[in-house]
Amino acid sequence: MTFNRRQGLKGVLGAAVGGAMGSAALPQEAAAQTRAETLRHVMGGTVNSLDPTAPGSTRESYGVAMSVYDRLASFGRKQLDGNWVFDLDNIRGELAEKVERSADGRTLTFHLRPDATWHDGTPVTAEDIKWSLDRAVLARSLAPSQLSSGSLTKAEQFSITGPRTVEVKLDQPDRLALANLCVPFAIMVNSTLAKKHATSDDPWALAWMKENTAASGAYMVETNRPGQQLILKRNEAWKGGAGGNLPFFKRIILQTVPEAATRSNLMERGDADLSIDLASSDIPMLQQRGKVKVVSIPATNAFNAIVFNTQMAPFDNVKVRQAIAAAIPYGDIFQAAQFNRGKALFGAHWTEAPSSDFPQAMPLNLDLDRAKSLMAEAGHANGFATTFSFATSYAPFAEPMAALVKESLAKIGIDVTIQKMPDSQMATMITEKRVPFFTDSGTAWLPAPDYFFRIYFTREQRWNFSSWNNPEVNALAAAARFETDPATYDAACKRMITLLGDQVPQIMLWQANTDAVMAADVNNYTYWFHRQIDYRDLKRG
Amino acid sequence: MGFLVGRLLGLVPTLAGVVVVTFVLTHLLPGDPAVFFANSVTADAATIAAVRQKLGLDLPLWQQFFVYVGQLAHGDLGQSISTGQPVAADLLQRLPASLELTLVAFAIAIAVALPLGIAAALRPGSLLDHVCRVLSTAGVSLPTFVSGLLLIYLLYYLLGWAPEPIGRIDPFAIMPPRITGLLLIDTLLAGDTEGFGMAARQIVLPAVTMALFALAPLARMTRAAMLGVLSSEFIRTARANGLRRRTIIVSYALRNALLPIVTTLGMIFSNMLGANVLVERVFAWPGVGSYALDSLISLDYAPVQGFMLVMAGIFVLVNFVIDLLYAVIDPRTGLLTHA
Repeated sequence: MTFNRRQGLKGVLGAAVGGAMGSAALPQEAAAQTRAETLRHVMGGTVNSLDPTAPGSTRESYGVAMSVYDRLASFGRKQLDGNWVFDLDNIRGELAEKVERSADGRTLTFHLRPDATWHDGTPVTAEDIKWSLDRAVLARSLAPSQLSSGSLTKAEQFSITGPRTVEVKLDQPDRLALANLCVPFAIMVNSTLAKKHATSDDPWALAWMKENTAASGAYMVETNRPGQQLILKRNEAWKGGAGGNLPFFKRIILQTVPEAATRSNLMERGDADLSIDLASSDIPMLQQRGKVKVVSIPATNAFNAIVFNTQMAPFDNVKVRQAIAAAIPYGDIFQAAQFNRGKALFGAHWTEAPSSDFPQAMPLNLDLDRAKSLMAEAGHANGFATTFSFATSYAPFAEPMAALVKESLAKIGIDVTIQKMPDSQMATMITEKRVPFFTDSGTAWLPAPDYFFRIYFTREQRWNFSSWNNPEVNALAAAARFETDPATYDAACKRMITLLGDQVPQIMLWQANTDAVMAADVNNYTYWFHRQIDYRDLKRG
Repeated sequence: MGFLVGRLLGLVPTLAGVVVVTFVLTHLLPGDPAVFFANSVTADAATIAAVRQKLGLDLPLWQQFFVYVGQLAHGDLGQSISTGQPVAADLLQRLPASLELTLVAFAIAIAVALPLGIAAALRPGSLLDHVCRVLSTAGVSLPTFVSGLLLIYLLYYLLGWAPEPIGRIDPFAIMPPRITGLLLIDTLLAGDTEGFGMAARQIVLPAVTMALFALAPLARMTRAAMLGVLSSEFIRTARANGLRRRTIIVSYALRNALLPIVTTLGMIFSNMLGANVLVERVFAWPGVGSYALDSLISLDYAPVQGFMLVMAGIFVLVNFVIDLLYAVIDPRTGLLTHA
């Protein structure tokens, strides 16, 4: 067994702690134990808020919130090709021990765990839950707009019906109401503590909760140096886990290391245990050298796409869109831009969607002859000129993609200029619908097909990248969320997918792999919808 | 004294200009911060509008400017959205880290570059002169992130001599009580020699990377200035009069060559403090440079403005000190005759 400086140091710390507690453990044993039970996660981003709902909070903050706070319920997880991924269809209680849904789907009853306590030791009450739910729909934060996607919009919907029961009433049986109570924004807060720090300007203690926690989750914040590192310690009184089990790691250290190459070095040297944001070009090398374990899982709730602005000429013409979709060299792009790492969403040959799964492989194939005749039918036999844009942070895959798109579209007479823009500028331009032809990606926390369509293919808003306004899809997506009959729901989803395949407002490309790199003895990594690490899952050995 | 007051008064319009320019420049950045910060997929137009109002971006630009100036008058640099902290607190927290790194790198650069430049000037065309040339060419042409990554790969990854290149101190170590914010000094003040050693080991690699970058202009300037002075007539006279070689080089030649060197030093110092974002990023050094860059990328106006203001202030201050040094080094500048 080799000892590095860190372990030595921890030995000293461990011995100091052990000594203080009157334990006779040997320093080496203490060191080994502490190291084994500590997980060190290095990341490029920062945790800028302990309250995930604060506007501007980073994705890393969502991961922390999952481990520090409890929600009423939690998604389960399932095995997919030997890896763990989250399971939207299998929801279990977290702070609630039991969740009941009424026959008409319009009432959800949550029975709280009798033994649940906040981090300060006080019991979790129904009043706390009511206050937290009110906060999630009323505070000026990111939560209300998310929860409204599950028809949770008003405080009157939440009522206390018993000492440990809370009821949620829905106007219509929204399919995603319960799922919305599992997302990072639906945190349950110790209201007695939070209210002490609320002011008349800030009745929901938004300011205080950015830097402090009032939680009941599996981990407590030990120290926080914003932008640098955060240390979590295990909450030994936590009961919200599957089967009531405590998480394995006693301590989690999250450190910000901005440079991806430095993160790779730390991983390979064994000084860090886990990183999910290494440079994708480094991954094959890391795999080859074999000092670390690489878990690659296609992001099942995400997609990359080439987008047309369907409200802007010439892309308002469906024939032009179909022509371009037939002129994209899919295989070459997947290879050059993504090294085939991920799941392809092109290459199918159906005219009617075979299933209601989404995203699924679409009928997109390279066929230049068809492309040329479609261009002629559209009245653009001589082609036209356009711009293909992408954000700087997408450059690693968007640059090869753009080059191949340019080369291939030249063959059907389209002259493409490539434009690379800073992310913030690109975001604004897309929101203002001023980009004609570009690449973007999307993720849905709740990957139900109707939710995908509602966010990415309907309404005049940023995430409807293509500004698609298809009356049939609009109507189907609006109705599907309240559909209680599984067969009708399935049929509606299939129809929307079929229309997407035919009208190609955007060209679906792939679901990229998320590459989680971890020490060889770290197990049980799960891909979660929020694309962060849930520290509660992980184990060593 | 009049000179001092005059110079100090001259700083006021400069800083006022900086305030205006930083404000205008940051608001000229393409992109809408409200869109960027309300980045959840369910954020609708109302959420974005609420964020915009919260950030005060719904006001006309000139009103935003007066709000900003009003804040400044109270010493308030605004609030960072991405870290969620007041900008002044963030800068105060991070400035010592950059300062410590810069000072150490600066000391290393001076300790190497000055003797090297002088030696090269004394023996032009010698092996030492070539070493000086190679070193300064390499220093200029190697971007700092390349030399930084190279040093990490060699000394940390392959050889394991250097500690892990993250931050200023081991993550498990207990920070010394904050007095100056400079860890090397605070640990000593607290009598914590182990902590001092740890902080010192941690700073070596980034400081050397930064020093490599600073070395080049300094060594070349020293060499050029010394060459010029050494070939002048008073040195020949001094030699003819049989003065000691040491006296000639140090008291006569170096003293006269010092003006351009000090100018270069001032410029390098200011540059190192603000512009070495890349070193800070590569070594995860929690300094102001990486802070400003992150804020810039995420369209967080307040920290960018605060950073530019503080940097301009330091720049102006350093120039002021250099001016004073001129007067001390070379009485002929006449700057001190009114004193």
